[in-house]
Amino acid sequence: MTQITLTTFQWVPPFAQGLVRDLRVRWALEEAGLPYREKLLTPGEQNTPAYRALQPFGQVPVFEQDGLVMFESGAILMHIAEQSPALLPADAAGRSRVRTWMFAALNSVEPHVQNLVGIDLFHAAEEWAKARRPAAEKFAVARLDAVAAALGDREYLVDSFTVADLLMTTVLRFLRHSTLVEQHPVLGPYKARCEARPAFQRALAAQMANFVKYAPAA
Amino acid sequence: MPDIELTTLRWAPPAFQGQVRDLSVRWALEEAGLPYRVRQVSDEERRSPAFRARQPFGQIPVYREDGIEIFESGAIVLYIAERHGLLPRDPAARERAKAWMFAALNSLDPDIIALGDIDHFAADAAWARERRPALAAGLLERLRSVAARLEHDHLVGEFSAADITLTMVLRALRHTDLVSSVPTLAAYRDRCEARPAFRRALAAQMAAFASPDSKLPAGDPP
Repeated sequence: MTQITLTTFQWVPPFAQGLVRDLRVRWALEEAGLPYREKLLTPGEQNTPAYRALQPFGQVPVFEQDGLVMFESGAILMHIAEQSPALLPADAAGRSRVRTWMFAALNSVEPHVQNLVGIDLFHAAEEWAKARRPAAEKFAVARLDAVAAALGDREYLVDSFTVADLLMTTVLRFLRHSTLVEQHPVLGPYKARCEARPAFQRALAAQMANFVKYAPAA
Repeated sequence: MPDIELTTLRWAPPAFQGQVRDLSVRWALEEAGLPYRVRQVSDEERRSPAFRARQPFGQIPVYREDGIEIFESGAIVLYIAERHGLLPRDPAARERAKAWMFAALNSLDPDIIALGDIDHFAADAAWARERRPALAAGLLERLRSVAARLEHDHLVGEFSAADITLTMVLRALRHTDLVSSVPTLAAYRDRCEARPAFRRALAAQMAAFASPDSKLPAGDPP
């Protein structure tokens, strides 16, 4: 049996709980039926030279499998998906479409989503953020609508559920503080459909369990 | 030889010429020694329902190789790299190279896009002047982190698709002094851009914009 270790934060503030990027890796491992161990970073450990040698930006997660160490959740998901027919179709055309949508989620959708999230969660009171927000929302919505149009009346981005849906769902989750996804006629049900999967529920529960266990004393 | 068609823009504003995202695909194809055809779309055409059926965001490039069509420049470069030898052969180095491709596109590019939005479209706006310093400072820290991790001349051992993707992302900072303020990163970028395959790819993109039938008015930039 392969040996997998996932490194992530012991605790994060409530605004980030349920959104930390180890969630998508946990979810992929659950879908693939691959057990894993956790390694939890103590506060500040992400900035130590030892950790930065594994993750240049001091981010999480870091993924280790049988001696192979990887960073960047998108790359990790691709690595896991290649080991599991539950996450990636067998035919070449289907695989390339799934990978295309993975990059679309991370490079065409997430930048605009994060721009809006940054304004709302970290800069809401600043004058520049108030001035910028309407346009930032418009850009984010344009990308969401484009994803919805591509989905049409299909249930998933590429035929059946794949790692592309998993990744897109975790990007859509970043907007949970707004109603943009929840009330979207296509993306709301799409996200709910993906989140209803037992593997997602297990992954989310696993992430949240640490935050309860390691909650700082009030 | 595979039959390859690259769809890109007929014209882009001067500030974006030389960094339109078909450049990384052209570069990968030049490194792999693969000839390709180019199909150009107008700004109007890229917004059409027919084009959006191929590319949901109305963006370029779109890539077709022997009947398989994909979009997203990152996905295209990876597709070419895996099939045509632009990734390390050693499995661990190969995964590290892929991680750097994702790092360029998901850990650097979002802030680079945000900075470009300010500098190209809102430079004089009050909100932009207030926002820019912190955004640029955060980005500089990321760039220093990348520079600290360069393995000799490249990101992972020999030159790979990771260097194509990172260099491409860094090019969107050409109008700033951010990269030049990190000397090892600037030297890295210059080294990558000195490659004959890059020079050919850049010349091909610029030539396409200079051709007489490209002198068409454009709407919003890509």
